[in-house]
Amino acid sequence: MKETAASASHSTWITHCANAWAWFGYAFLVLPTLVIIPMSFNSTDELAFPPDSFSLRQYEAFFLKGDWLSSTFLSFKIAIATAVLAVVIGITAAYGLARSSFPGRGAIVLFLLSPMLVPVVVVALGLYLYFATLGFSGSALPIIVGHTLVAIPFVIITASSALRHMERNIESAAMIMGASPFQVFRKVTLPLLRSGIIASALFAFLISFDEVIIAYFVGRAGFSTLPVKMFSTIQWEISPVIAAVATLLTILSTGICILVTIIMDRK
Amino acid sequence: MYARTGQQSAAFYVLPALLFTAVVFIAPLASVIGQSFWNGQFTTHSYQSVISSTLFQKVFVNTLVISFSSTFVALLFAYPMAYHMAKQTPRRRAFLMMIVLIPFWTSILVKSYALMIILGRNGIINTTIEYFGIPALPLLFNRFGVIVGTIHTLIPFMIFPILNSLLARDPDLGRAAQIMGAGKLRIFLKVTLPLSMPGVAASFLLAAVHTFGFYVTASLLGGRGDLMMANLVDLYTREILDWNMAATIAVLLFILCAVFTLLMGRTRALSTLAG
Repeated sequence: MKETAASASHSTWITHCANAWAWFGYAFLVLPTLVIIPMSFNSTDELAFPPDSFSLRQYEAFFLKGDWLSSTFLSFKIAIATAVLAVVIGITAAYGLARSSFPGRGAIVLFLLSPMLVPVVVVALGLYLYFATLGFSGSALPIIVGHTLVAIPFVIITASSALRHMERNIESAAMIMGASPFQVFRKVTLPLLRSGIIASALFAFLISFDEVIIAYFVGRAGFSTLPVKMFSTIQWEISPVIAAVATLLTILSTGICILVTIIMDRK
Repeated sequence: MYARTGQQSAAFYVLPALLFTAVVFIAPLASVIGQSFWNGQFTTHSYQSVISSTLFQKVFVNTLVISFSSTFVALLFAYPMAYHMAKQTPRRRAFLMMIVLIPFWTSILVKSYALMIILGRNGIINTTIEYFGIPALPLLFNRFGVIVGTIHTLIPFMIFPILNSLLARDPDLGRAAQIMGAGKLRIFLKVTLPLSMPGVAASFLLAAVHTFGFYVTASLLGGRGDLMMANLVDLYTREILDWNMAATIAVLLFILCAVFTLLMGRTRALSTLAG
């Protein structure tokens, strides 16, 4: 009896330790990013934490000086193009995979997801060599194409799980009432998939907007996206204007995460 | 009858993706492999010179050491965190999920920059300990910095598969063990832990392979001696301008990832993702 009590208190003690360790982990994940926010309101160029005085000087530098804004616009354009392309290609593929069975289907799934398995730097070098021989220099197209390749597997995975949870009888009903397969896809499946489509478009946008390596390899002069500009700036100096850029990027990704959670919850 | 026509025509919807992947993924990969054998003429010499170069050997060892030690430490965080999440009510779990998802979707540059502010010579940690009279510690631009950065990126990545395997187990098993008099710790050690091992193994190897190709973390948080294979590919592409060598190292990095991928049967884990 005494022994059980002892072992019970022993295991509660272990539970408390494990919980404390888990909370330490959550703190480690979240706190570094939170540190950036006060740094971005730093009024001097010194990187002391906490800053001695606060101002909007770093945001002013981002919006008015240098070419931060033009890099940001380029990133927006590339990310929007990526989201559109990845969603169109990825959703149709996920539909084809979910609503058909043919020999070699498993191999095709693996093939379509394989860009996830290969290190991005290998893909980036490949695109760099490939587009150098094709002569596409001085355009954003190689970056868009590379980002779309990376985003498609995410879209397929998100859409496949949405398609699996969808009520298939609605599709069958439409088909029995004489709708052609394309009409079923267009008028029944796509509207039912709406929240999955929006979620995967937002993630594809974010993947592209934050991507460094492909943009760094295939982007030529005059085509540095926001992450590329940020990456090359950090390599030279830990400039405080980066804190402002980082804060804006954090707001963007947090906003998208919250939005996706809300969209998926409403379903 | 309807179902069959539907099934056959639906297969055509996969075509655009197949075409895109073939043109944009397979062709560039082929040009990397081709370039690794091409130096004005067909050659296998680059493979000999890469493998015998001391720089490459050092970088190869760096890559393995950084990947496996970071993955191991990240697992020490990810498992207790996933276990903690699995025990919560769905509402609280959704909140914790957000805490894990936001860093997962945060730019690697933002995370690295934040760690530079924290770990640097005049960073938060060193300023604090110097205030208490302790001499500053070298935390940034060295192996320690790279590993901390890598762990930070890996933890969310590893939590998801472990959490899935913890949530998929049958809760009756634990209840049965409890009825038969097992304590909490015993249930964990004899039931929960063994049942979650496949998830743990998958997430460990997945994370290690993922880390082999890391680039940004080592170049921002590491020092001269912490280059990883991806950094070497970049060095040869942009600074030494030797595409032949760059492609050779890229092929070797690809082979390294492929070997570990086949080892774990991660391929099967992936195909279950898309049903």
